[in-house]
Amino acid sequence: MTQRTPDTEEPAEPGAVSAPEEKRFRILVCIDGSEESYRGLRYAARLGGGVDADICLLYVRPVDQGLRSGGLQVRVARENMLNWGLELPGIKHLEKGRDMLMRLASMEGDWDEETIHRDVQGDPLGDNATVYTNAQGKRLILKLKVASDIASGILEQWDQFKYDLIVLGASANWAPAPLSLWDPAVAEKVALYAPCSVLVARELEEGHGHLICTDGSERAQRAVEIDANIAARCNCSISLMSVALDQESLPEAQRNVAEARKLIESMGFEVKDSYTPVGSPIDEIIEQGQHFSLIVLSDTGKSALKRFFLGSVAVKVLEKANHSVMIVRETES
Amino acid sequence: MVSESGSTEPTAVESISSRFDLRLGANLYYFWEKKWFFIALLVGFVLLSFDPPEGLTRAGQIVLTMSIMATILFVTEPIPLPGVALLIIIGEVLLMGLESTEVAKSLMNDSVLFIMGSLMLAVAVVRQRLDKRIAWLIVRMTGTKTTRVCFGISIVSGVLASFIGEHTVAAMMLPVGILLVTLTSDDPKEVRSLAAVILFSISYGCSVAGIGTPSGGARNAIMIGYWKEFFYDPTNPETFVYLMDYAKWMLYAYPMFLIQVPIVTFILFVTFRPEHRDLSRAIVRLRAQVAEEGPMKAGEWVSIGLFFLVLLGWILFSQDLGMGTVAVSGAVAFLIAGLVRWEDINNGVNWGVVLLYAAAISLGVQMKDTGAAAWVAQSFLDALAPIGGGEGIGLWAAVSVLTTAITNMMSNGAAVAVLGPIVLNMADLAGESPIVVGFVCAVSSAFAYLTVVGTPACTIVYSSGFLKTTDFLVVGWKMVIASTIIMLTAAAVYWPLVGT
Repeated sequence: MTQRTPDTEEPAEPGAVSAPEEKRFRILVCIDGSEESYRGLRYAARLGGGVDADICLLYVRPVDQGLRSGGLQVRVARENMLNWGLELPGIKHLEKGRDMLMRLASMEGDWDEETIHRDVQGDPLGDNATVYTNAQGKRLILKLKVASDIASGILEQWDQFKYDLIVLGASANWAPAPLSLWDPAVAEKVALYAPCSVLVARELEEGHGHLICTDGSERAQRAVEIDANIAARCNCSISLMSVALDQESLPEAQRNVAEARKLIESMGFEVKDSYTPVGSPIDEIIEQGQHFSLIVLSDTGKSALKRFFLGSVAVKVLEKANHSVMIVRETES
Repeated sequence: MVSESGSTEPTAVESISSRFDLRLGANLYYFWEKKWFFIALLVGFVLLSFDPPEGLTRAGQIVLTMSIMATILFVTEPIPLPGVALLIIIGEVLLMGLESTEVAKSLMNDSVLFIMGSLMLAVAVVRQRLDKRIAWLIVRMTGTKTTRVCFGISIVSGVLASFIGEHTVAAMMLPVGILLVTLTSDDPKEVRSLAAVILFSISYGCSVAGIGTPSGGARNAIMIGYWKEFFYDPTNPETFVYLMDYAKWMLYAYPMFLIQVPIVTFILFVTFRPEHRDLSRAIVRLRAQVAEEGPMKAGEWVSIGLFFLVLLGWILFSQDLGMGTVAVSGAVAFLIAGLVRWEDINNGVNWGVVLLYAAAISLGVQMKDTGAAAWVAQSFLDALAPIGGGEGIGLWAAVSVLTTAITNMMSNGAAVAVLGPIVLNMADLAGESPIVVGFVCAVSSAFAYLTVVGTPACTIVYSSGFLKTTDFLVVGWKMVIASTIIMLTAAAVYWPLVGT
């Protein structure tokens, strides 16, 4: 990744449109060097084990800018550092991630390597990516990106290359900066705004299966379908859950679960367990979710404005759960 | 050319426009990101819709409202900070009805010239790549023990920073710090605490030193400017004490910096407990790297010479010529000597900062002229009097706490620019010496140890990627307490000895 070649920088060809390939399953794994993010990566490696899946490891570096540093551009120091042969922050983390992926069985064999550089306004080093491709056309990408802040960088990366799933760790590094009450955690911001499914890894352990929560809506049914496909990628078991607010609505909850079960079985997969507790959805989901690798929720489909004022079960669970949560959303095209 | 998605990459323009459609239309991303801008507008609108409170003129009310809005925007940054500076200029013309030329004139003075000159000088100095020489000098003096190396880094960074400003030294020393860390171990996990100790030694060394001399930071220059602007009267010899000269400032502040350096090292080691007690492995490799550089080149000697000439200029002539003139002369000397290209200076300085300081100072002067500063000062004093903050050490502590709180959230220069007129008025009204209270404010503005954005040095070392934002909190509060105690002791015991 250090072979930055300023003389061979080629601007992207104008007019070319990046057409996302329909069939490939594309995962964006955001790492920051924390243990949580590498756990997310391990999980992503299982999801992306097949030939038809690409994995992109992303490290977002905040842009070097001089307003905060008293007017002296940080790049002046950065140039001296490169002169000493010091690497940019993040490269070590990305290389560690790559080595982890390579160690996993699916990544054996020969890989072609290609380095891509893209200029970014206001930063001398720009975005850098290394693309590894194997004989079957499977791709592994290491990307070091600069952006004004980490969440925006992740969302921009999605905009450019459209992924099916974003995986990130609920890392302490990404907690809101101290004394800045107005800045939500990176993971939360991405989960709110990303136009695709987002997996927030917390103490993520493999092998305990997915707990899919449904409220019977069409959107939730669609989420069940999407996640059933994802769970199949890692041979994870699927359990279903629908929470009834009171005794009266219990039959409805049972109906929701039954419908979801029918859908999953029609896809040729199995349902391990199903739960229909009565109570507050948020508490019940968090309680039951402790026994699973992942809590899977569908995006509420509320507009941002409504979400802002009313909140949503998905967001609340994401905030409060002690375990990994995946918010499933139909990928926008 | 193959891209990450397998096809060609979209152009930058495309990606930006698509993002815009997506967010603006679909989920109000734009308004969410800019919410604090609209909140500030709303606050301004509400405040201006009231009649001015007793004792405050309408113009004063407008300036005060603008200051509150500017502070909200400085802290939350919904729009780029230089944009806030431009809004201040527009507000002074449109809301206050001032002449455009008058506003433009109020933007430039010696403090602003000094900020501009010292930034240009900073680029010129950092560009000379003297970092390896300095690193070698430090380890030759200190040996290989981690504690001693860190103390050496703090004191050398500090002494340099006290004269040429913390941003210059932090930028120059950061590669040294990272090199020592990476030469010790390649695995970031293994050297986390070591990295924290070394990098904080640089940033806190610079921060505690920034108070040492008038050229140590823009905030000092701003305070000196305010003293002169508010209290100096050429016809009254008694007011001549408000013309602060370089040596007198040093007499007040330099001992405080020297006392703080060992405390910095102590606090850092107690807090982080580095994994490696000895750095000989790294230092051997450092020696090899320095040896590759060969002997000092003529250009390096010339730049060191120029650097000392600028220092002398500040010490000897800043009273007559102005600190700004000396700084600008230094920058131009580097250009004439061919040691730095204008393009490097142009790219290395963020000119928005100059604009920002200019607008903040202009607003500060308006605060004084309209009587808004006096009104706020009186209100503060009335509020502080019942809790013993109306005079003496209580007032100093109150000023210090207020400044520390503000400076941790925004640029320390801007904090002094906005707070300066208020605290100087407080001193005047309470019968305290404006010199002492001004010093308390300027020195406290260096106590931005808690956040990444607090001081330039913190921001620069944070860019290394080795530190977490929470690290600043963990160690910062100890630094704030230690520094505050030292400063208040100096104000009570030492400053009276040198005459206030």
